[in-house]
Amino acid sequence: MGFLEPLQIFLMSIVGLIANPVNILILFGSVIMGIIFGATPGLTATLGVALLTTLTYGMDVSTAMVALMGIYVGGVYGGSYTAVLVNIPGTAASAATALDGYPLARKGQAGRALGLTTTASAIGTVIGMVFVVLLSPVISALALEFTSFEFFLLALFGIVISGTLTSQDLVYKGWIAGLIGLFLATIGRDSLQFFPRYTFGMSELEGGLDLVPVLIGAFGIPQIMQTIRDNFKISETSEFKKILPEWKTIGKNIPAILRSSLIGVGIGAVPGIGEDIAGWVSYGTAKKASKHPEEFGKGAVEAVISTETANNSCIGGAMIPLLNLGIPGSPPAAMLLGAFMLHGIQPGPMLNIDRPTFVLEITAILLLASIAMWVSGIFLSKQVVKVLKVPTSLFMPIISVLCIIGSYALGMRVFNLYLMLPIGIIAYFLTEMKYPIAPLIIGVILGDMADQNLRRALMVSQGSFMPVLQRPVSLVLVLVILILIAGQIPAFQKLQAGVKAGVLSLFKKKQGSADNA
Amino acid sequence: MEEKKLRQYDFITAVGLILFSIWELAQAFKMPMKDTYGGVQSEWYVSPALLPLIIGGGLMLLGAILLVNAVRSGGAASFFEAVGKSGKVKMTEPTRRVITVVFAFVSFIYLMIPHVDFFLSISLFLFYISASFYPDSDDFRKKMTFQFLLGMIALLILVVTGLEGVLKGILSYNVDILALLFLIYLNIYSRIMARKMDIQRKLIRQVTWISILVPLVRYSAISFWCRYP
Repeated sequence: MGFLEPLQIFLMSIVGLIANPVNILILFGSVIMGIIFGATPGLTATLGVALLTTLTYGMDVSTAMVALMGIYVGGVYGGSYTAVLVNIPGTAASAATALDGYPLARKGQAGRALGLTTTASAIGTVIGMVFVVLLSPVISALALEFTSFEFFLLALFGIVISGTLTSQDLVYKGWIAGLIGLFLATIGRDSLQFFPRYTFGMSELEGGLDLVPVLIGAFGIPQIMQTIRDNFKISETSEFKKILPEWKTIGKNIPAILRSSLIGVGIGAVPGIGEDIAGWVSYGTAKKASKHPEEFGKGAVEAVISTETANNSCIGGAMIPLLNLGIPGSPPAAMLLGAFMLHGIQPGPMLNIDRPTFVLEITAILLLASIAMWVSGIFLSKQVVKVLKVPTSLFMPIISVLCIIGSYALGMRVFNLYLMLPIGIIAYFLTEMKYPIAPLIIGVILGDMADQNLRRALMVSQGSFMPVLQRPVSLVLVLVILILIAGQIPAFQKLQAGVKAGVLSLFKKKQGSADNA
Repeated sequence: MEEKKLRQYDFITAVGLILFSIWELAQAFKMPMKDTYGGVQSEWYVSPALLPLIIGGGLMLLGAILLVNAVRSGGAASFFEAVGKSGKVKMTEPTRRVITVVFAFVSFIYLMIPHVDFFLSISLFLFYISASFYPDSDDFRKKMTFQFLLGMIALLILVVTGLEGVLKGILSYNVDILALLFLIYLNIYSRIMARKMDIQRKLIRQVTWISILVPLVRYSAISFWCRYP
């Protein structure tokens, strides 16, 4: 395929989507719903995607994707509302935005701050989309060369890195969560010999655990319990008259936008690492690169633009491994994976062969969603802020019902509800004890891939692990996994610090001698 | 959560994880390894036990590391100290709120959905949970929980004793009629209590509307549009 053919498919997809007024309605509806979900503390983009997945059950694939991508984009952006207006981030993704967005609002510039977050988020989403288009064919072609060993190691890498980077307490708590997720994935008959594993003789468990109830349980129930427990209320929001896009300020911050987009895409592409980390890393980098770092935390425009660009470009980044490898880049992307499967789409290296235009359709939807998000953000913000004033104690019970209906609706199995609640309660306690949930979900999703590919690979090699060392990609993955694990061992940390100090002193010596010369 | 408490919980989790991994490994060892299964001669590397063994081993190792860390950081000692003083431990209000939510979920999913009409189940659940938290009064929540608990005990007795079947034999909607009466009773009770406790009646009215409108919307619009059953 040359350059013009994908462009033609991309444009045709856009025309096809906007030619149907129902799609436009669904797009705006889901984006606004996403903004409300993102803006309401306690609700997240992940939960929004999870709940909407069940509503898309009867839709055709394109319309369903419009709805799901719309809520995803809106959800990630929506967090900035409460971050700017009440200094409470609606989602973890916009936590860094609150640091400078709220001081701006306190200076009477809430409208300006929201205008900047809206435009930066839209630009971030579009840049993320460009990376999906550019990198997908490369990664997909590379993935077609992968053998079972590489796929097993990729799954393992996803769990290890997600566990390492999302853990707030001890790193191995993330790995424990990942292993628990893997265990949940082994429940049911195994795919090679059809042996029932951990089914306790229950026929309902033989097909394994349904992904959607597990995801709703793990993400939704703990959030409901936490929000009701903390009796969260939004008292007063900062006032604003109009939201102004401020193209001039955006123009002045183009280097920051490009840098943050790259950070967002890069972090998004790492399995299980979400928009929150992208926001924080981008904030830190922007502060380091800024000529006026002392202004950060006091209402720096550059900081607001950087964090919002990064967390929204993370969406594109998260879509790259999801579409091409079947590995979700972020928790909402994990939920999207469940939605894809529900609609009969199997993401992975074969996606470009089975559905050659699907990736381009998704990118077209991402572009439309970012436009819808910008329009909704600029023109409907006042209405969204009114919704924020609905008390969470009234809102959360409705979300609980939606979670229950959502889990039940897929497959019409009451058993899914019996499953969702214990998983939700366990996830609540794990969250309280500072175990991250993202690795658990990554484990559940990648468990089957890890299991099948490990055994297939060993079947081909007759039980030998030597091919791992003979194939460059496998070798790199093994080394990265080992370094990540060994990095938690004190002796290795000391060794690492020693090597780092040695290299730095050598570098300084060389620089010093060069300066003398 | 404060550091000391976190390490206490780490100690309990570590013990739980080690026990769980022992069970997981014991189950994995029962799976076919090198013997035949379904007429196929298996090898260790194609055994369905392979991944469970890796998971069990990993969990046991990480559980042991967590245990060592909990013991070293004083989590184990403070856990045993807390157990010794358990008589003095008071349940906090946030914990009570969590228990209320869990109780609502458990009774909705395990008791109401299998035995009561779905619409009525949603209505009851929504009314109870919203009325408990929306007026923002702990006393009111406790009173509502007590009434709801009585209702759920009555339903449990009907189910366990087989009376539910007898009632359905007389008239198939008998349990639903009882649930509807219970919903009306809860509504009246909450209004009376709200008046006594100086809670705005507007709040109870809003809760009532939500408990009727949400299942109604689910039944009409969503079931048509999204082809639910």
